[in-house]
Order: sequence, then structure tokens, then C-alpha cells
Amino acid sequence: MAMTRGRLAMLAKEAAALEPPMAMAAAAEDEEEDEVPEEVTFERARAAAETERRQAGETARRDRELLKEKRRRREELFKEQKKRKLLPENVLKELTSRPRINNNNLSATTKQGKNRKKNEVRNRRRNNKGKKRVVRLKGRYMAVRLKDQDLTSQHQKVAKDFIQSHLYGPGTNRTTANQFFSFANKKSPVKKAAVQFVNKSWGKEKKQKAKHFKKYWMSKKKKKSPL
Amino acid sequence: MGEFQVHRVRFFAYMPAGIRCLAHSPRSARLALARTDGALEVYNFAANYFQEKGIPGHETRTTEALCWATGDRLFGAGLGGDVSEYDLEKLRVKYSLDGFGGPIWSMAADPSGTQLAVGCEDGSVKLFQVLPDKIQFERSLDRQKGRIMSLSWHPSGTRIAVGSIDLLRVFDVKSGHAIQRILVDRHPQGLYRRECVVWSVAFLSDGTIVSSDSVGKVQFWDSEKGTLLETHPVSSSAVLCLAVSEEEDSIVVGTSEGAVYQFQLLPVKWGSAESKWVRTKPFQHHTHDVRAVAHSATALISGGLDAQLVIRPLMERVHGKGYDAVLRKFTFPHRRLVSCAKKARLLLFQFPQHLELWRLGATDSAGKDGDILPVSRAPEHLLQLKSKGPEHICCSCISLCGSWIAYATTSRLHLHRVHLENGSVRVKRVSKVPKLLCSAHQLLCSADSTSLFVASDQGAVHVLKLLEPGRCGHLQTLRPNSGSAQAVYLLTASVDGDWLAAASGDWEINVYSLRHFKPHCTVPVYNCAVTALAIHPVTNNLVIAHSDQQVFEFSITDREYTTWSRKVQQHGLHKGWLERDTPITHITFNPKQPAHILLHDTYMFCILDKSLPLPDDATQLMNQTTLKQLSEKARRGCAHAFKICKKYQPLLFVDLLEEGSLVVVERPLMDIKTQLPPPVQQKKFGT
Repeated sequence: MAMTRGRLAMLAKEAAALEPPMAMAAAAEDEEEDEVPEEVTFERARAAAETERRQAGETARRDRELLKEKRRRREELFKEQKKRKLLPENVLKELTSRPRINNNNLSATTKQGKNRKKNEVRNRRRNNKGKKRVVRLKGRYMAVRLKDQDLTSQHQKVAKDFIQSHLYGPGTNRTTANQFFSFANKKSPVKKAAVQFVNKSWGKEKKQKAKHFKKYWMSKKKKKSPL
Repeated sequence: MGEFQVHRVRFFAYMPAGIRCLAHSPRSARLALARTDGALEVYNFAANYFQEKGIPGHETRTTEALCWATGDRLFGAGLGGDVSEYDLEKLRVKYSLDGFGGPIWSMAADPSGTQLAVGCEDGSVKLFQVLPDKIQFERSLDRQKGRIMSLSWHPSGTRIAVGSIDLLRVFDVKSGHAIQRILVDRHPQGLYRRECVVWSVAFLSDGTIVSSDSVGKVQFWDSEKGTLLETHPVSSSAVLCLAVSEEEDSIVVGTSEGAVYQFQLLPVKWGSAESKWVRTKPFQHHTHDVRAVAHSATALISGGLDAQLVIRPLMERVHGKGYDAVLRKFTFPHRRLVSCAKKARLLLFQFPQHLELWRLGATDSAGKDGDILPVSRAPEHLLQLKSKGPEHICCSCISLCGSWIAYATTSRLHLHRVHLENGSVRVKRVSKVPKLLCSAHQLLCSADSTSLFVASDQGAVHVLKLLEPGRCGHLQTLRPNSGSAQAVYLLTASVDGDWLAAASGDWEINVYSLRHFKPHCTVPVYNCAVTALAIHPVTNNLVIAHSDQQVFEFSITDREYTTWSRKVQQHGLHKGWLERDTPITHITFNPKQPAHILLHDTYMFCILDKSLPLPDDATQLMNQTTLKQLSEKARRGCAHAFKICKKYQPLLFVDLLEEGSLVVVERPLMDIKTQLPPPVQQKKFGT
């Protein structure tokens, strides 16, 4: 829709661009006369409006078709890409022809956790008997309900944030360790080195800016020098 | 003093965790301390403030409140929402109980010690009944809006004052209703007009409530009428904690700026009955927020996020010039965090969640006394072993040859076999470590690296056999005859592999024969905590250091104190030696000089020469600099047994390597302070 609206606007603009020369000519012809509004008969106005509407509808339809076409082309492209990614057909056929391992069963056992280890082993054994296929499973885990964990940790996080904001948040008037410990150095007769030497993370933005500026300045110099 | 080549090690980046809460028990003269990483420590004031017990931290445990109940039972509660009791004999959490009220901010035991009141995030105050071996939920007081940041019992046990956000409440315990609601002023001006957190409250027996809040005021309220009695603006930042003395005539508060103030109840005029709270003494011992204070009978105790525990005695309450009359500052644990492989020149550093293995540097050049030698091979970080799981490491050790590393958390013992072959390091975990039913509190490898001693609960020591290539098996369990209930926290073995000495929490030292795997003898119990133990490599004498700075030598073969030790006791130690403020944490020996004992605490390192006469109080204790200026002959006349060096501070570890050079591990305080969270800005005039 946005596109159609854009197009309409353009058309309107074109019309506006076409009109002024004519109007100008008319103005040149009868300069002395006062500008009288052009009389337009009802029929003509209606016809103009109709054609305009028709044109708009047509453009909208055309747009829709274009969009459809585009979509179709894209879908085709995707399909092709997918095909390219897949293994060659003969391999795929071979794979599908083989009997499946019971995937569902395995995933269920992993979910159930440590206490079901025996069960798992039995499963594995069954698998081994059937086909010589060894499935490695992790044995060292604990089963917990994520729901409970989430709630307590969330509460804990809220509480920690509360402390953090009250001790270190805005309005708490905190400084850096360097500034804090350099007071003693300022007044003492024996001047020592700063408590903390310059940290590389300081003034990152400014450094970045300086770097950009340097690059820009050099390129400017280079452009100028051949001339 | 003897000359050594010294490895001055400063690459142990140990960061002590900040102190979150303190609880003082006047009955047992103990102080419990919880750190921000969930670790718990117990200091014994009767044993010269020795850190008697330690429970390692936990990732998910953040302790917000501690309290003693019925004398010596210790409870803790934290943001995890659990109330837990600590087992101080087995050094672990005994049990925890969910409070079902969200994170817990505050906890207090009632004056009789039978009930615990717990203030939760959801605005409820819950009462737990303290039963002989557990706690039980009793009931919940009326739930109100806003988190309960602090609470305090009235000494009669009938009311509870509660500090919340922007207000104070008084609850009647019997009915469970709130009977008073007092609004606290917010910050009057400023850009950040925000809520006022009542960080701490105290209920006095005359019905006065004392509150300290985030606006920086200490206020006194009448709980009956709900009116403000007095206001003391203390700081421009928050006042975070508050504690009242037992006689209720003195209050200590700690602020965000690191200052601690004392308030005293003083008569308005000389001799008049009317008295008023007056802010009397300011102390600025901390650089960062003081999050916990406690008031003992003779001292103000404060703990800050700068990990310092400061014990400031009140001079008007201390009688005489004793050990109690001096300011104490503790930053480092009174435990060994470093172990040294003397043969392989390796150092193992213990951090809460990992271990680091370093190879010491070396130099080609030689110099004279006082020279700094250029390093030809820089120290090398060989290995970082991360411990899995949320539990923190409680102890670690490396064998003398550097081929075995063991560490333990509360629930598990881990053993690793390390292969060092021309520069490359290979580590293999020993997969089948025998499952010990109880936790390990101290680890030690024997001198020939064939066995590992694991200190455990109830005075037991497990002996594990280390087998090549990378296996181990349980050999024996040594138990004392006396049937002690306390855990063993110090171990030492003789170099020839015949003897093992173990000190347990009740200060009993048992000596075991490793040939027959049975108890050999016990050292007569001394009435102060043992801080360090070592067996002499040549004479097999056991050297014992106590927290009151006494040093004993005990002959294992003769089962009695040696003549030198008796002589020391008769003569008495030097006054300067007895007044040192940190305990000796490690003892080692020089095999080339059998008469020497090397000892160190946090601020000094000393060679005790048994062949020289003991100093008396008239002579100078630290005489090394004056001795240097004397001639050879005069020097011999002035020398005494204690040769003390204070050049390296603060010391975490000193040991003598096999080839005779000394390793000194320092951790400068400034390095720690610069890595702490940002401090509050303080305006200083003229800067």
C-alpha cells in the first residue's frame, strides 16, 4: 500500500509539474485581467476524477502482481538453495531406507536424570543387541525443576539490584579508587606515583574519535599532496 | 641473621571478600563474621582474637544476617531465602530451612534465645522456634508492604521494632499486629529525591527506638507515642549499621564513608539525672563502606567492604595495658593459602574458586646483602585449576616434589597428578578418590610424596596412599584416644615419615606414629588456640605456636617439653614479642642450621636461634639494624635469639626452598584497595 501511495503522490506531482507552464502562458496572455478561477463543468470534473480513480486502481493491481511475482521467485530460490545444501540424493535414499533408532526413548531418559541411570543402561544394552550402535550419554548431571530455580534466583537478583542501586546508584556520590587515594598524595610532601596507572579502558570514545580524525586528516593530506 | 637469596613474590592476586555482617556473643566471647562471598569466620576473643573457625563460601549463598542463640548456636540467613544453622564442630552448614518469604534481610534472636525473628523481602516478619537440634516455623506477624530491612527485639521480648523503606513499625509479638507506624524523613533536597531505607534499628529497654537510615541520620524515637526524640545527622551518605552495648549506654554506627561513630548516653550537666545521647568519638579506620558493626564490652568492632575487621578498644573500659588495649586490624585469614613445593620450586595459590600454580623465577647473578638481583627467568604461571560447582575451596596442598595437587571443597576431595616435563605441564585428575564421609579441613602431603593426610571431623585424620601413575587408595584412619568432637585444622608430618601431629578445634594436639598407625601421645593442653605446628627435620621435635604468642618445643620421642622450651618458659618471652598483634601462621626449619626455627606472622618474619641467649625486657627486640652497625666482636655480645625482619609486609607465606633460598609471598594492601568497589567521595579541604 505504501508503494501505491507513493506512486500516487508522484503522479500528482507530475500533474502539478505539467500544469504550471500552461497556467503561466495563460497568465502571460491576459496579464491585465484579474485572475478568474477557471470554470470547470461538473461533467469534466467527474470524468477527471473517474479516470484518476481508475488509474490508481490499476497501479495498485500492477503492484500487487509484481509483489507476487517477486515472492514466487524468491521461494524458488530458497528451494534451490535447500536442495544444494542437502546431501546428494543417493545418500539420502540410503539413509531413509535404514531403520531408525528410537530417538524419543533416548531423549526421555536423558531428561529423567541420574536416578534413571539403570534404565538408561538397559536401553543402551537393548540398542546394542539390536544394532551395533553405541550412543554416548552423559551421566554426570542432576535433575532440577527450572521453575523453582528461576523464582528464587529472580528474587535474589532483585534484592541484589536493590542493594547495588542504593549503595552505588545515582546520587550516592562515588568516585574512583584512583581519585580517592590520590588525595593523600596531593598534600603529602613526598610525591609518589599514582595509585593506579592509566587503565587502557579509560576514554575509549575519545580515543576512537581521535583515531578516526587522524585517518581522515591523513587521507585529506594525501589527496592534497599530489595536486 | 644469616643471609638468604629471597624470592619476593607479589603475584598472588588474592582478594579478600568484604565483610557483610558481624555477630558478637558476649557469653562465649566469640565474634562471628560473614563475608560477601558467603564465607563464615569465627574469632575467639579469649584467644587473642584468633580466627578459630572458618566455613568456606558458596556461590549461591549470600549471608545478610547472623545471630547467636542460646549461647553458642549460630544462625545465618541470606538473600537465598533460607535460614540455616552452622555446625561449628564440623565446619559446615548443618541444615537450612526455607523461610518462604523471599530473600531475608534481617534476623534477630529474642533475648531468651528461644525464638528467631526473620525479616523478609515480601514484608513479613516470621518467627521461628529454636529447638534443641533444629528450628521450626512458628508463625508470621501481620504482613505489611515493603521489605523488612532490619529488626530488633525489645529486651523484654514482647515487641519487635522493624525498619522498612521510609518507615518504622513496632509489632506486638503476642497479637502479631503492628501497633505503631513511624514515618522517616526522605532526603530533603537534591536531585535524587528517593526513598529512605532504614538500614538498621535497635530497640532499647526504655522503649526508645534507634534507627539509622540512608539519608545519613541516626534518630531516636519514642515507641509509645511514635514521636521523634533526637536527630543526629552523622554523614552525607548512608548510615549502614548500628549496634548497642549490653548496658545500653553506648551505640556504635558505621557509615558509607568508612567512618565509625560512637554515641554515648551522658548526663546533661555534671551530677544531673537527665541524660542525653551525644556523638562522642569518630574513627576512620576504613576506606570503604562499613556494613557491619558490633559492640563488645570493651571495644567497638567494625567490618567493612574493604575486608578489614577493626577492633577498636574503648580506653575508659579497658583496665591496664594488656592485649585488649590495642587497636587490631585483620585483613588476611589466619590460615595458610599458599603451599610450596620446595624441591620443584613451585608455589600453589588458593583462591575461592580456583588454584594457581606458579614456577618461581631465577637469577644468574649474585650480589651482596641488600642488592636487588636482576631476574634472568621470570616467574611463570603454569596452571590454573578451576573447581567445578558452587562450593568454594577450603584447603589445598602441593607435594614437595610438585607432582601432586590436592584440594577440597566442603563436600569433595580432588586430587590431581601433575607432570612437569621440560616446560610443558600435563594434569591428570585422579578419578577414583576414596569417598570420605566427612569433609576435609586441611590437607598435607608427606615429605616423600607417597601419602596424603586429610584432616577431618571429630579429630580424625585419614591417610591416603598416593600411587604412581596417578592412583590413590585409602590406607588408614587415625583417631585420637580422647574422642574429640572438633574438627582437625592443622597438620604436620615429620620429614622421615614417622610422625604426624594434628591440632583440633579444642586445641588438643595429637601425635600419631605413622609406622604403626596409632596414637603416640598428646601434647599437654594449653589454654590458648594453636596457630602453627611443625616437626623439626633433624631432631623430630614438635614446635608449637599459640595465639598468645607463646612458642613451645615438644620432644615427640621423650613425650615431654624440651629443656630449651622449659628455659623459655622460665625466662619468659620478650614483652615486644608478646604484644605483636597477629598470630604466627607458619613454621619452617633450615636443615643446614638445626638450631634455627623460622616463623612468620603478617608483619614480620623471624629466625629463632636456639643457641643464642633469650632477650630480657631491657634489651631491644628488633635489633638487626643496630647489630649491623657494630663490629663483629660487639655483635656477638649483643645478639639474642630473636632475629626479626620487617622488610616484607604484609606477609602471607614464608618458606625455605631446598637449595637455601627464601620465598616470601607478599600482598600489598594498596593493591587490594584499588580493586575494591568505588568508595564514597569525600571533600578534603585544600585539595
